[in-house]
Amino acid sequence: MGKYILKRVLQFIPVFLGVTLILFALENIVPGDPIKLMAGEKKLDPQTELNLRATYHLIETDSNGKPVRDSNGKTIPTPMWKRYVLYVNGLLHGDLGTSYQRKGQSVASILADKYPYTIRLSIVAIIIEAVVGIGAGMVSALKRYSFWDILVTLVTSIMVAMPAYWLGMLLQLFFGVFLKNATGGAFYLPISGAVGPGAEFDDWVYYILPAITLAAVSTAYTARIMRSQLLEVMNQDYIRTARAKGLSRRDVIWHHALKNALIPVVTYIGIDFGGMMAGAILTETVFNWPGVGYETYRAITQRDWPIVMGSVTVIVVVVMVINLIVDISYAFLDPRIRYGAGKND
Amino acid sequence: MADKLMMGRRTFVKGGLAASALTALAACGKKSGSSSSSNSSMKYYINDPVAIDPYNTQESEGTQVEHILFDSLCDYDWDKEEIVPKAAESWEANSDGTEFTFHLVKGAKFHNGDKVDAKSFKRGWERICNPKMATPSEINYHLAPVVGYDEMQKGTATELSGVTCPDDYTLVVKLSAPMADFPYICCHPALAPVPQAALDDPKSFLTKPIGNGPYMMVGKWESGQYINVKRFDDYYGKKPSIKKIYFSIQKDPKTAFSEFEAGNIDFTSIPTGRIKETQKKYGKSKDGYTCTPKHQVITGAETSIYYLTLNLQDETMKDLNVRKAMSLAIDRQKIIDKLFEGIRKPATSFVPSIIDDDKKDVWEFSKYDKDAAKKIVDENNLAGKEITLSYNSGGDHEDIMSIIQDNLEAVGFKVKQSSMEWASYLTALSGGNYQVGRLGWIADYPTMDNFIYPNFYSTADNNYAKYNNPEVDKAIDAARQITDDDERREKYREVNQVIAADLPVIPIMFYAHNHVASDKVKSLYYDPQGKADLANTKLA
Repeated sequence: MGKYILKRVLQFIPVFLGVTLILFALENIVPGDPIKLMAGEKKLDPQTELNLRATYHLIETDSNGKPVRDSNGKTIPTPMWKRYVLYVNGLLHGDLGTSYQRKGQSVASILADKYPYTIRLSIVAIIIEAVVGIGAGMVSALKRYSFWDILVTLVTSIMVAMPAYWLGMLLQLFFGVFLKNATGGAFYLPISGAVGPGAEFDDWVYYILPAITLAAVSTAYTARIMRSQLLEVMNQDYIRTARAKGLSRRDVIWHHALKNALIPVVTYIGIDFGGMMAGAILTETVFNWPGVGYETYRAITQRDWPIVMGSVTVIVVVVMVINLIVDISYAFLDPRIRYGAGKND
Repeated sequence: MADKLMMGRRTFVKGGLAASALTALAACGKKSGSSSSSNSSMKYYINDPVAIDPYNTQESEGTQVEHILFDSLCDYDWDKEEIVPKAAESWEANSDGTEFTFHLVKGAKFHNGDKVDAKSFKRGWERICNPKMATPSEINYHLAPVVGYDEMQKGTATELSGVTCPDDYTLVVKLSAPMADFPYICCHPALAPVPQAALDDPKSFLTKPIGNGPYMMVGKWESGQYINVKRFDDYYGKKPSIKKIYFSIQKDPKTAFSEFEAGNIDFTSIPTGRIKETQKKYGKSKDGYTCTPKHQVITGAETSIYYLTLNLQDETMKDLNVRKAMSLAIDRQKIIDKLFEGIRKPATSFVPSIIDDDKKDVWEFSKYDKDAAKKIVDENNLAGKEITLSYNSGGDHEDIMSIIQDNLEAVGFKVKQSSMEWASYLTALSGGNYQVGRLGWIADYPTMDNFIYPNFYSTADNNYAKYNNPEVDKAIDAARQITDDDERREKYREVNQVIAADLPVIPIMFYAHNHVASDKVKSLYYDPQGKADLANTKLA
């Protein structure tokens, strides 16, 4: 197992270099000059523009930071490979650069501000997704064609069809505005934000609505995958054998069926968790959540490349780690799966 | 069937129970004693600011916070229509408007106890001009008229030589060219003094600036969440009545408005399409700028304009008759009525009437006259000429451009739309790769010069039309030297008329406020430049 993990970690390096290189290339292809964008519609004067380009290493500079000019008096753009080397070098020193749009602020400090909120929200959402999704899927499969099965099918269909931002706005209206007005301010939930001084609620209350919104669609999928997997497993020969041996239905479900049915579900939840950790743009926008998703989105539209590079760097690492954990978890769910022991099919 | 129905009801009840359980749970998480309706604090909606450190304060949101943390030399009083003292108690100019001497208020302090002296202004201004900042300032143009600015920008000087401090409370500013309007520039919130701490620890100054204004930071700016300020007790001026202001940072104005409706925010903008409805519910402000209970919605004109820029290098746009016909063909009122609930004002000039309300400012062709437009098209054989309208997607621009397209087609032009995302659009505009584009201009200072010079002076950066009329350049240069206010205005009106005849741009509409305050606010003045006078705001 140790060897397997080491091998996987070493595989991170080429994947990481590949992704960041593609992104660097993209930076050169996508239209829009980040420096011109810094001031918006008000144009920068040429000297200021030049100074900004020099600051961000977009043009070649001498040791004093002054722009180098060619024989025609023109500035020389820094070649892409050189900027990539600068970026990797900075990365190795823990420096992710300085944002274009968040004036003077370092990318590392911006991400350090935003990431904890994304992680916490993702964890709450993934717990909801796992508990409710797996639970509903099980009920639905074990009580097939019952009222509960139909209810789960119906609700999950609606959930899958409903866009997250719309669900979010409905929840806000009901729990934040309608309930508050209907109960005279006795019962309601906060509409937006994470925490704040003078906040009316404890921090955890702020997670309820965004986490439900973020988890909604995936919970529905989880329930559906769980239902179909469990039904399939329940029809397998070994289940029939176990039943024939005289095991109780409960034992059969818990010890034999569930573990096998869970593998695709865990894969789905793992991938979904990776996605959540990259931030949820719509949920973050509707609930004004200070996470990394909206920040990355903003950075892309404003060509704030240092932030895009920084957050993608973190996301790549996080997703790779989660995938590794998911793969390792298979070994626990299905004893037939062994890693690092040579052959297996 | 009956059985199923019963079950349905039971589930409904269960669902209801679950919902109330959730809120009951939340009620457990409710803190006691903290309420948004405290009468000594206020919650104010802003979008995430670009900067609250004065060295790069540029847009409305950052300015909202920064201008109560910092006091610049002077301030523009919209009531009196004149510049009034702030950190400087008086000032004088030399005869041709090239040298200004400011006398500072004595005894003023920064929030950390440091003295506010002439050097702290020089320090603040030099930060703006310093190309070695982690991100150099983009608003250094404010100080471009000052002697020594170019040297600092080029990196050959580390000091703004035109700014001197003969003693602690005297600040002398030399300009490289005459500019009688310079005190207006000094009203800008970015030209504030900073303490030594800004140089010692520039990183924390970005998110927790230390100013000389009526409010001071409590903790740091929590990006995407909030900025919290409290009254500064050692403030040299009149003490504000509100003790604490909580700037709630929201990404989406719609969410902010929901928070407002739930009673959690005291001042916010109103989403597009909901102004009339909000006016009915909360009442119209009497003057358009002051919110008082039952008169809570403000829709006063702003010092900003939405306009079309015409690329004068383009063959079609070179023809003045095309430009005239286009300007006359656009039904500005229709755009405003259909899309902005009649709140904005049709632009009859490039200079908003809130800046200068004189008949001589009116542009002859900036009005809707379809027949006159048709006549020009027919007489000059312009029918079928192709025009491409470029704009950035989002922000109502599609709808505005569609109406303009209809209008232009109605008089015989052949019109195409080219919608781009923001970054591409800006690149196309600055590269001159457009025929007709849309732009907005928000004044930095409430002067005619601030509308005319940056957009129409041949070498000005913002002259996207590439307009070049030596007569206009000369007249602007001359106007900037006139120290008499009325005389100067008169000169700008003349320049304005020359530009109106050349028509390098087509004014469309002047923006208007679309904000509402809660009934907790007894009086709040939101000026035409979009700065809330929070230091003088009173709560009920």
